[in-house]
Amino acid sequence: MRDDTVLRWSLRVYTAVIFVFIFAPIAASLVFSFNSDRFPSIPLGTFTTQWYAKAFSNPEVWDAALRSVIVSVSSAVLATIIGFSAAYTDYRYEFFGKKAFLVLALLPPTIPLIIFALATLGWLSMFQASGMMISVIIAHTVLCAPFAMAVIRLRLNQMDPNLEPAAWNLGASEWVTMKSVVLPFTRPSIAAALCLTAAVSFDEFAVAWFVSGLNKTVPVMILEILTGNIDPQINAIGTAVFMVSITLVVIAQVLIMGRRPKPESA
Amino acid sequence: MKSLARKTDLYAIAWRLPMLVWQGLFFIGPLVFMVAMSFFLVKNYRMEPAFQFSNWEKVLGRGFFWDSYFLTLWLAVLATCVTSLVAFPASYFLAFKVKDTVRRWAVFFLIIPFFTSYLVRIFAWQVILAQQGVINAGLSFIGLGPFTMLNTKFGTMIGYLTLCLPLAVILQTFSLAQIDKRLVEAAHNLGCGRFRSVFTVVVPLAKTGLVVAAVFCFILSFGDFVAPYYLGGSKPPTLSIMIIDTSKSGQQWPRAAVIAIMMIVTLLTVAFAAIGYAYRKRR
Amino acid sequence: MATPLVVFENVVKRFDEFVAVKRMNFEIREGEFLAFMGPSGCGKTTTLRMLAGLEQPTEGDIRLAGKSLLGVKPHERDTPMVWQSLALFPFLNARENVEFGLKMRGQDSTTRRKKAQDWLERLGIGEFAERDVNSLSGGQRQRVALARALVTEPKILLLDEPLSALDAHLVIRMQGVLTKLQRELGITFVYVTHSQSEAFAMADRVVIMSKGEISQIGSSRDIYRTPANRFVAEFVGRNNIFTGTVNATGAINTPAGSFEVDTKAEAGANVSFVVAADVVSLAVEKPKVRNVFTAQLISEEFVGSMVTLFLEAAGGMEVKLQIQERALEGLPREPGQQFFLSFDPAHAHVLKG
Repeated sequence: MRDDTVLRWSLRVYTAVIFVFIFAPIAASLVFSFNSDRFPSIPLGTFTTQWYAKAFSNPEVWDAALRSVIVSVSSAVLATIIGFSAAYTDYRYEFFGKKAFLVLALLPPTIPLIIFALATLGWLSMFQASGMMISVIIAHTVLCAPFAMAVIRLRLNQMDPNLEPAAWNLGASEWVTMKSVVLPFTRPSIAAALCLTAAVSFDEFAVAWFVSGLNKTVPVMILEILTGNIDPQINAIGTAVFMVSITLVVIAQVLIMGRRPKPESA
Repeated sequence: MKSLARKTDLYAIAWRLPMLVWQGLFFIGPLVFMVAMSFFLVKNYRMEPAFQFSNWEKVLGRGFFWDSYFLTLWLAVLATCVTSLVAFPASYFLAFKVKDTVRRWAVFFLIIPFFTSYLVRIFAWQVILAQQGVINAGLSFIGLGPFTMLNTKFGTMIGYLTLCLPLAVILQTFSLAQIDKRLVEAAHNLGCGRFRSVFTVVVPLAKTGLVVAAVFCFILSFGDFVAPYYLGGSKPPTLSIMIIDTSKSGQQWPRAAVIAIMMIVTLLTVAFAAIGYAYRKRR
Repeated sequence: MATPLVVFENVVKRFDEFVAVKRMNFEIREGEFLAFMGPSGCGKTTTLRMLAGLEQPTEGDIRLAGKSLLGVKPHERDTPMVWQSLALFPFLNARENVEFGLKMRGQDSTTRRKKAQDWLERLGIGEFAERDVNSLSGGQRQRVALARALVTEPKILLLDEPLSALDAHLVIRMQGVLTKLQRELGITFVYVTHSQSEAFAMADRVVIMSKGEISQIGSSRDIYRTPANRFVAEFVGRNNIFTGTVNATGAINTPAGSFEVDTKAEAGANVSFVVAADVVSLAVEKPKVRNVFTAQLISEEFVGSMVTLFLEAAGGMEVKLQIQERALEGLPREPGQQFFLSFDPAHAHVLKG
């Protein structure tokens, strides 16, 4: 019995250490962003907001932030539309080649970003379509759509297969049913998909770096500062970036978990 | 009169098209083009369509490439093993030793880093692991160090762990939690020791999920350039760093494409072999 | 009798290789309560879904009030349905669920609201109008589903095993609600079920289906007394089926005995006939009537004041006998007890085929 307690406690401590390791960089970045030392170490320097002041007074940061917001909102909307269509098709239809359809829908996240970045750069350059904000939006939509699809598909799993027929039966055409039944039913998952894909796009740097040209997004800017030298501004910008994406991911998760499947019959 | 199923069901087609068109144009298109691009020529920093094997010869004919190839493969395999082993006790704990609600919260938190800036986290590690960084400063209080951690394989591994660990713990926890706990208890009753039962009962039962988790670790670390560059010092470069160097500074997109194709082929081979192994001898 | 509201003409439905419905011809009369009954996979639900337009017939024609329904989409038909899963819209409250069909017909919100409220009240759940449908009980949800289907005042209502998810006591209550509604509204109810008691208790006519074909259409009484074939006789389940050969005197030799039955079959022919469980008589002394045979009591089963006796006749044949419990008073009833059973030749129904 003593053995059991020892084992349980060592596992507990071990798991705690793993969580500390995972969240250490996020916490460190937050702490360093308010720390006066240029090269933070122990003991910490004094409390300061100078890095924030420096970062936020830099017009380039604001330009990049604006671009990042435009890119992530646009790709989130596009990816959610595409993800919804694919999820609905998977839910509703059986057809020849459906396996291939699903593979195509879910494959992008398994391709290393750097390879997809190179391929997209080559492809878009052929149409003189690289180096613009729209290039980043296009590529991010590809990357984000599978996440949107997965989130919405999970919600559709909880939909009674007779719900749509019931609406047709009461006089709603397929399109009207989509608007008045399927969309209301999947609304929380659509909102979750928007948040999650916005977070993915907001943090993506490899593809954005390759195809954005001079239209740098925030992560690309961080990447370039990082390549130069250690600059504590990154902690300030990084903390702001973390706050944005953590908020988005947490909202998404709450939306997904919030509505438990309810019993269909009493 | 015969009423055939309406062949032109506009509604159905309308929902299929967005994904097909978009992923066809901007996912399949680029990848296919990249294969074509690997046969193109570069003249005066401009790419010209052609069908020449010179890029393949130049890249594959150099020992430099193969050094980098095996280094990358070795690092990714190492990262996969390290991540899987480091994650396992935590996953085991979360799957078997806590209540459902605790497990749900743990997964909730583990998802967060997966979708937040990897780049900023790596920068934080740079500062933490530096020669005068937090860890060495801490160690100096007890009279140790300083240790060089940045620009080493150790640094690269820390980066890979940052990238892969949350996902590995999530996937492992899910696959372990699905095991019928009675089977584990049965093994105990039959006198199977606790540690032995982990390897003879738990691991085989969760094999598929554990392998899938490992495959994701491999894919992520094989393709990542941030950890080996910013924490590992990029000497020698991994394949992903080579792609960047070749395409960004040298404008040699076709040669970068050759490297990329070699990477995809390797990934597909490893992934299929692993998944095949995972599903073998089951049922 | 009333005019046909629905006509099925040579309707065939195939799903790839599987034939769900084989060449079906029948009519549904205006204002009748018609029940489709059969084991699962017999094609009864497919038939209902074709009527609602959720499946298209592979061959043949379906006409509603004289007009062909071929190519008419589900939402263009006025064939509301009550679903087995109820399929209430979980994001709408009870009243909004009922309003749905009216909204699709473009009625303004005041009218919609009033009609929906009226219907909810008529079904006794007016006070729950603003409640989330997920918070209602099974019986209340059932009524919301009914109101939602009936609020558009259709000529025909389709019901797909609507009571299968309810507790036994609620089923009886809802049966009462349904028959009363059907009488009051005078509209046609088409009811699909696998439950004999539901079909026989409510329907004017019952359609028995088997393997995609109609075995018999008729009143509950017809189906019970004169089953069209062996399948129906067995499916109804309260019948004794005797099989034997016609002998030289015109009687039928079966393992249980030799019986006189009204048949035109020639000597040597194989014949099966049915004797319903409630027309078999029982006695301890051998009665002086025709068609007497002996059997030993095996077990008994009570349903209210009726009792069903299970006996074994010669040749191992199981015989069921349904009788008022009171009629058994004073009789020995230990298992193994031998009885003389008999039935009137007029009560034997010879099966075709």
